Amino acid sequence: MSGVALEPVLHHTLRQSSPNIPRIKHRKSVPFSVNFSSRSVKIGGSLSLSFFKPNKSLSVTTCSATSTSTLPKTSESTDVIYSETFQLTRVEKAEGQICVRLNQGKDVDHWQLTVGCSLPGKWVLHWGVHYVGDTGSEWDQPPSEMRPPGSIAVKDYAIETPLRKSSGSEDGECLHEVNIDFNCNSKITAINFVLKDEETGSWYQHKGRDFVVPLVEYPRDHDNVVGAKRGFDFWPGTFGKLSKVLLKDEGPQPNAEGSVAASAGSTHANRLLEGFYEELPLVKKVPLCNTLTVTVRKSPESAKKLVYLETDLPGDVVVHWGVCRDGNKKWELLAAPLPPDTEIFKNKALRTRLQIKKDGSGAEGFFTLEKEITGFPFVLKLNDGTWLNNKGDDYFIPLPATQEENLSQEKEASISTGSPSGSVTTDEKPSIEDQEVAPTTYTDGIIKEIRNIVTDISSEKKWKTKSKETQESILHEIERLAAEAYSIFRSSSTTFLEEAVQEAEEVEPTITIRSATGSGYEILCQGFNWESHKSGRWYLELQEKAAELSSLGFTVIWLPPPTESVSPEGYMPKDLYNLNSRYGTIDELKAVVKTFHQVGIKVLGDVVLNHRCAHYKNQNGIWNVFGGRLNWDDRAIVADDPHFQGRGNKSSGDNFHAAPNIDHSQDFVRKDLKEWLGWLRKDIGYDGWRLDFVRGFWGGYVKDYIDATQPYFAVGEYWDSLSYTYGEMEYNQDAHRQRIIDWINAAGGSAGAFDVTTKGILHAVSVYSFIRVFLQYFWNVVSGWTTNVIAPQVLERCEYWRLSDPKGKPPGVIGWWPSRAITFIENHDTGSTQGHWRFPGGKEMQGYAYILTHPGTPSVFYDHLFSHYQPEISALISLRNKKKISCRSIVKIVKAERDVYAAVIDGKVAMKIGPGYYEPPSGAQHWSVAVEGRDYKVWEAL
Amino acid sequence: MLIICCINSGKVCNDTALISNFQADDTRLFVGLPLDVVSEDNEVVNEKAIISGLKALRLLGVEGVELPIWWGIVEKEAVGKYNWSSYLSIVELVQKMGLQVQVSLCFHASQQPKIPLPDWVSLIGESDPNIFFADRIGQRYKDCLSLSVDDLPVLEGKSPMEVYKGFFESFKSSFASFMGSTITDVVIGLGPDGELRYPSCHLAANPEDPIGVGEFQCYDKYMLEQLKQYGESNGNPLWGLGGPHDVPTYDQPPSVDTFFKDQGGSWETPYGVFFLSWYSSQLISHGDRILSLAASVLRDSSVNIAGKLPLVHTWFKTRSHPSELTAGFYNTATSDGYDEVVKMFAKNACRIVLPGMDLLDDYQRDRASPQRLIAQIKETCGKHRVHVSGQNTLVSETSDGFEEMRKNLSKENEVVDSFTYQRMGTNFFAPEHFRFFIAFVQKINQLDANAYDKAEDMGRVEAMHLGMKMG
Repeated sequence: MSGVALEPVLHHTLRQSSPNIPRIKHRKSVPFSVNFSSRSVKIGGSLSLSFFKPNKSLSVTTCSATSTSTLPKTSESTDVIYSETFQLTRVEKAEGQICVRLNQGKDVDHWQLTVGCSLPGKWVLHWGVHYVGDTGSEWDQPPSEMRPPGSIAVKDYAIETPLRKSSGSEDGECLHEVNIDFNCNSKITAINFVLKDEETGSWYQHKGRDFVVPLVEYPRDHDNVVGAKRGFDFWPGTFGKLSKVLLKDEGPQPNAEGSVAASAGSTHANRLLEGFYEELPLVKKVPLCNTLTVTVRKSPESAKKLVYLETDLPGDVVVHWGVCRDGNKKWELLAAPLPPDTEIFKNKALRTRLQIKKDGSGAEGFFTLEKEITGFPFVLKLNDGTWLNNKGDDYFIPLPATQEENLSQEKEASISTGSPSGSVTTDEKPSIEDQEVAPTTYTDGIIKEIRNIVTDISSEKKWKTKSKETQESILHEIERLAAEAYSIFRSSSTTFLEEAVQEAEEVEPTITIRSATGSGYEILCQGFNWESHKSGRWYLELQEKAAELSSLGFTVIWLPPPTESVSPEGYMPKDLYNLNSRYGTIDELKAVVKTFHQVGIKVLGDVVLNHRCAHYKNQNGIWNVFGGRLNWDDRAIVADDPHFQGRGNKSSGDNFHAAPNIDHSQDFVRKDLKEWLGWLRKDIGYDGWRLDFVRGFWGGYVKDYIDATQPYFAVGEYWDSLSYTYGEMEYNQDAHRQRIIDWINAAGGSAGAFDVTTKGILHAVSVYSFIRVFLQYFWNVVSGWTTNVIAPQVLERCEYWRLSDPKGKPPGVIGWWPSRAITFIENHDTGSTQGHWRFPGGKEMQGYAYILTHPGTPSVFYDHLFSHYQPEISALISLRNKKKISCRSIVKIVKAERDVYAAVIDGKVAMKIGPGYYEPPSGAQHWSVAVEGRDYKVWEAL
Repeated sequence: MLIICCINSGKVCNDTALISNFQADDTRLFVGLPLDVVSEDNEVVNEKAIISGLKALRLLGVEGVELPIWWGIVEKEAVGKYNWSSYLSIVELVQKMGLQVQVSLCFHASQQPKIPLPDWVSLIGESDPNIFFADRIGQRYKDCLSLSVDDLPVLEGKSPMEVYKGFFESFKSSFASFMGSTITDVVIGLGPDGELRYPSCHLAANPEDPIGVGEFQCYDKYMLEQLKQYGESNGNPLWGLGGPHDVPTYDQPPSVDTFFKDQGGSWETPYGVFFLSWYSSQLISHGDRILSLAASVLRDSSVNIAGKLPLVHTWFKTRSHPSELTAGFYNTATSDGYDEVVKMFAKNACRIVLPGMDLLDDYQRDRASPQRLIAQIKETCGKHRVHVSGQNTLVSETSDGFEEMRKNLSKENEVVDSFTYQRMGTNFFAPEHFRFFIAFVQKINQLDANAYDKAEDMGRVEAMHLGMKMG
């Protein structure tokens, strides 16, 4: 009984406290009706732990000057010299409690579990039960008599019951609650639940896992029973705070006798239910999205510039601002007299409160600046003390001297999503030269950019960088250049220096982000499965999940192939420009892309470039003439597949035999495809690509497409078989991952690739081996032991040693080139209803515990995400974000044995998978269990 | 700090003055260009890859590159006939990239990649093999000249010192416009692999990582003549007739025969002291000759002059340190062999290049200790105020190796103020290696992810709105 604080408190409460808890009055449930049909709009951001999530999709609106306000309306179109709308993402926090109460009902057998929440919201209890004899952590559905009215069964393992507004909340407690009645003599051993807020799509868990209310002496050492030492991992600020537990130390109470009596007849000697009441702190974060529009005009009567700020932020908004002169970005103060409502703040900035608009819809402000002022830097402060800035940086509004200079100059200085502009070289050399100019230009651009940044830096050494994105884009460029050097050294060709020296000549740079590998902290969601086309309204269905996906921590979503297709799933495209597919119309597609952008998620288009189905037959009756906007003839088809009688060159890769394979060596094909991809980028708004079947053509063409379309993120599907000997996977899969690396190299390192190697090896560490099953069966029969019984534990494969390669690194692509590896355990082909190469059933969470803690960019499959695995996956994702595990994190493998694999990532996260034992060393670091499930466990360094 | 370093390296840019105050506490980091960046035929090899590599390094914040310049390529055809063209174009290219150059002048030959001595020197060697080192049974080491001929007119009437002098002068005038700006350091080749040592292990089964003690290399004609003189002048003419007889062969451990035995070995006898003193002082005199020559020619070019020491750590944990003895360092349990060596560098105001900073004792054979030897040399350098440029031995594929390098560069080790990572090539740019390298550079530039995040978090709340950019 000592050590109460660390043990799950609930056990003690169960034994010690009386069910008669005086403070708790039974409250009658009253129907609660709120009109939820109008879901709150503009839910954005994510629940990452950063103060506010940098919104990567800073949208530059066209100069439409939509201000409805008091501006002089003289010749707007010519006066506006700058206009930009910034998205402001912030998080509103509300604190409250989740109350969990166990009460005796009308007699000793009938008990009631009450779960309440003191915060407003559309709360839903997502719950299930454990029965006697259950093993593992899966839930079961409760018996129907247990389900409160309004409950909905979710698949076959859980129930969703909405919380209803409770009546007598005289002391301000529990606004919403739900009661579950049950008979304590049933075979239920525990009730598990999580709480979900349907308004934000957020899940609220207990220490990253389900809440567990044990109804018998809980046999396992789980620490996520209600009443354990910590609060919700959901929000780290209050870790370690003990929840308020009403620990009634009154010894045995009369009522306990009843329990004893009731249990006397039953076989469960330990079924001594005792009531308890517990409150656990809860913070609800509601991401909010507002906008800020900045418009700069030339004053009609003088050379002064008018800066107009307009925002729909509610309440008081204070602008902290300065002015810049001579084209640099140094904050300076304005000479007196100061504008009205403006004061000097700590001698470093000017502070102006924006005027609340007359209609109350936000605030606005005017700033009149002299003509020699070249820039207007500012940040915003809200009345709750929140600072809003531009992706971690000051907002900076360039104030060019004349209209001609315009904003292009400033765009250059801030590396952002610009479009590639023409290269600036006077060299007239053949096309090889052209290909080389762009990288040079880009790198020189970055170097110049760095110079700009440095000039901006003051003596304050701690704060010397631009945004993290700039950092990342530089890193990506470094890796791309290294990949280029690598492939040349490998092939070791000799050329001459003359050309090289010319390349190094200074050329005026245009800066764009070239690497299609994201920020390094991306987490992907594959947003469909093999059946998604069936409803015909997938885009609409997915749109509803956007906010939830964002709050789960995803940053990129992969949408299904959008084109008209011969097969409903979309992988047999026909008319590339027809984007009305079984998933929805082109307008629905645009809408879903927009919605994802609003919640800060980038969108990948699944593009099939390897093959295309023809519209017409040729004179021989062969389907090889295309229609639609790209009406290619048989020259666009590779020559080496006799089925389609192509007249192009031989294929540069493997052939996909079900449709004509496109010959990418043809200039007109590449030009058309680049145009098409550009159109998808611009008109649909895709941020990047998932490239289907890239085995079918040379990676160099992919580089060409990537360079032409400048995606934020791109990943290729290079899927071929691992090495097997007599059905047993070989330990060394270097050849397999080398083929993937070779493809990435051929693509110039500009795109990532799915880490098929890692998936394959994860398969092999703990599955039933069919060969072994067969051999064992055979052996059993000949040895006369048995005819058909095979003990599974004998056959279960335990080969976790495979997860360390001979050099002690991860054996997949992530061991060699993690920043280009997209890890996954399942997709629409391998799993879903196709099941070509399904991940071993029941082991999925081990797979996710691996990929979500390891370097590489993890991709979560839709079917897994929207399953009972969600709470666990969500906990792993939030840990990944919290600990800032990136695609380049460093793995230290500490154990790779028969039955257990364990690794420490970046020294911040420890994990193990497999049934074997591992605990992180209790040295200088203190480790605490963050997520735990069947045969896996993840710790975080405190 | 990533960004600062980029600019630090750009001395050619005028805007560097703005941030010069950051320079002081940064470690200068160089990366070696491939040994064969200029081919035997005097052409630049893989220059596209080099350009990509240079850009990547520039973005990463590396200070510059190390450029090996080979005697056998520049002065290939005839004495006094120099061809610097390819090297000049590389230096020019590096300058355009805003990087700096550390030049290594290599007076030795290389087996892998194959870079020979000048043709005319090899020809002379065929007729007079005594210009090369020889071991006890007369086997020659033909990848550099024996230190015994330094001042003898064996090269078409000139001494090697005179030939080197011509080489230095030609180098200085050919690269005059880069000296002190783009070219900041010149490392002078001092012997086998450019290092100040005897080629004591060249016939070992694995010369890079010998298991045995190696052999003394004092058996060429001129070396024996000098030993004889030394014996006579010391009143022990019989001792001057040859090297010790009771020594093991290349791949044998010190326990074989009696010379290196830990207890009562001949190395501790008066004869042992006589021989070892002479053998090691010959090496130091040789180093002194070349470095003072180089200093006299290059001193006014405002470049750092350096020479490279080997890291002979095999058998370091025995009393006799046999591998160091055969390599020419009289460093035993009873004698500090590096003090005189470092003093010689100090006298010539030269830096020391010291390899092996990535090596950990844990990964070595049981009597070796790279870490202790490095500690000893660093301490000696600290004592004589000689600055050290660290190097790694191999392209490292483990984070442990990088961690050791980082430790060697940390603040407590101020004596090591620059580092040259060896070297560019296929393995260097391989993704599985390169990401470690990125992490390493970021760490020594104090920009690890945590520091950045910390700055970001702190900065966001407090500093941002106050306008950190206001100076």
